[in-house]
Amino acid sequence: MKKRVGIVPWLFAAMVMLFGVNAAVGAEADAQTAGQQAAMAAPTITLDKTEINNGGTIKVSGQAPAGKPVFIEVWAADHTVRANRFDSEKDKDTGKRPYIFYITEEMPAYYKTFVPKELQPKIDAAKKEGKKWSYSALLKDLGADIAYSVPAKTKIESYQSTLMASVIGSRGDLLPAMDEKESRKRSMQLVKARFQSIDKVVAAVVDVKPDGSYTADIKIRDGLAPGKYKIVAVVDKKVKSEVATFENKIAFPMVYLENAGTSLNIFYPFVLSLFVAIFGVLMGAGGGFIMNPLLLALFPALPHTVVAGTVTPTVLFSQGSGIYNYSKIKFINWKLGCGIGTAMLLGGFIGPKLTEMITLDQFKFAFGWILIILAALMLWQTTPGYLAKNKKEQSILKEFKKRAEEAAKGKN
Amino acid sequence: MKIEFWGQEFQVNMVVGCIGGFLIAIMSSMFGFGGGPFMVPLMTVALRLPMYLVVGSSLLAIFFNTSVSTMRHYQFGNFDLYFFLAMFPAAILGGYIAPQIAKRVSPLVVKRIACVGLVVLALNLLGVY
Repeated sequence: MKKRVGIVPWLFAAMVMLFGVNAAVGAEADAQTAGQQAAMAAPTITLDKTEINNGGTIKVSGQAPAGKPVFIEVWAADHTVRANRFDSEKDKDTGKRPYIFYITEEMPAYYKTFVPKELQPKIDAAKKEGKKWSYSALLKDLGADIAYSVPAKTKIESYQSTLMASVIGSRGDLLPAMDEKESRKRSMQLVKARFQSIDKVVAAVVDVKPDGSYTADIKIRDGLAPGKYKIVAVVDKKVKSEVATFENKIAFPMVYLENAGTSLNIFYPFVLSLFVAIFGVLMGAGGGFIMNPLLLALFPALPHTVVAGTVTPTVLFSQGSGIYNYSKIKFINWKLGCGIGTAMLLGGFIGPKLTEMITLDQFKFAFGWILIILAALMLWQTTPGYLAKNKKEQSILKEFKKRAEEAAKGKN
Repeated sequence: MKIEFWGQEFQVNMVVGCIGGFLIAIMSSMFGFGGGPFMVPLMTVALRLPMYLVVGSSLLAIFFNTSVSTMRHYQFGNFDLYFFLAMFPAAILGGYIAPQIAKRVSPLVVKRIACVGLVVLALNLLGVY
């Protein structure tokens, strides 16, 4: 920014120079930096291969101007994912909570900045902050903000949320588009919201020699989006190498999940789901209770919204068949079911909205406690007092069921 | 509200039922589970209804919740087709296999194992280990 503005006063100053020396002194300084800028050659970039299979290491090398740190920006060019964040943090100046919901559909499915090796201590320092780390502060600290460009260009929509809007389950009112600077700032928060951990967005691997030549082993982990990835070396805001491309190939049974933004072996969720479904029926609780936390624990790359949103319909069908079976023997009180069902309908309308608004950590925290409550309920169901009562209830249940089944048969 | 079920009449406190159901629905749709293990105690303990009445009717109530929340999750783009296709057949298959196994294991043991499993999962989510 500074440099671009710098040229205008210089031209102006060149004219003024004829009239006064004072102005010329300032202009000289500006002219020098502008000159340096032009002299700085764009770095070169070479990749040792153009194809990897479900992750791998790519050796990147090139020549950059001597004495400058080299940053490498890598992003997935073929697939984008959604990133969203609900801003309810108190504003430092006004003390008001903004309650603004930011969302973009254009976040690259993979985005990472590789920085010079010497900067590792700074990354470690940021890690000490735990979950409260700030992406923008980290980039600035590393000097890598000059290499931050792709997510900054994404189109971000912001919504003013209100309590009322949440109740009817809408995102709120769409706010006017943000200016470039604001959009850039918000995009950084979305990067963090999407990729969560520091290790996913930065790594100190670039080895820069004093003469300006650099090498880096760019590790692309497995389970990422397939397709073309773009990679660019950056030494300054305007001084970038050409964009190099490599391709990440995945093959069946690895399948890319478009909404989740990750690929995974499709047999894992199948097997997992099978075990969970069996166990769920045995313990008398829907599989969702175990499936969700297991998925979150085993596949940290899956966003919690997608996990919740995909497990729910899975549960739906087993419920449907259960209802069908019960209704055949007239074992459902429609008045009671529909009455409470109406209240639950409203709750079901609001819930998914809330999933979107909370972060993964809040999701895990709340779910953790829900599971503990559930465990307590289960434990209570194994206490002798409950069992005695349950035995009676179960025998009545069986008796009624038998009668109901006979009645249903009699009709046919 | 009065309801009739298999020749017996029950008095149901719908206010408690609806508020409880509403809260459970928010929670279960938010986190993507069925909600049965919470609905059944709500209806048996808080509403004092017998088990044989609760099993079917609670399922119906939950079904309302799950269908709407499925729709909403889909609307918000939280639904992933391939992921679903990987889990769905397994869930159906599990539903067929489970009753076969259920005959051979004691529900008490299963519940106790489930307890331990749930606590382990919970601690994992809470970041204890």
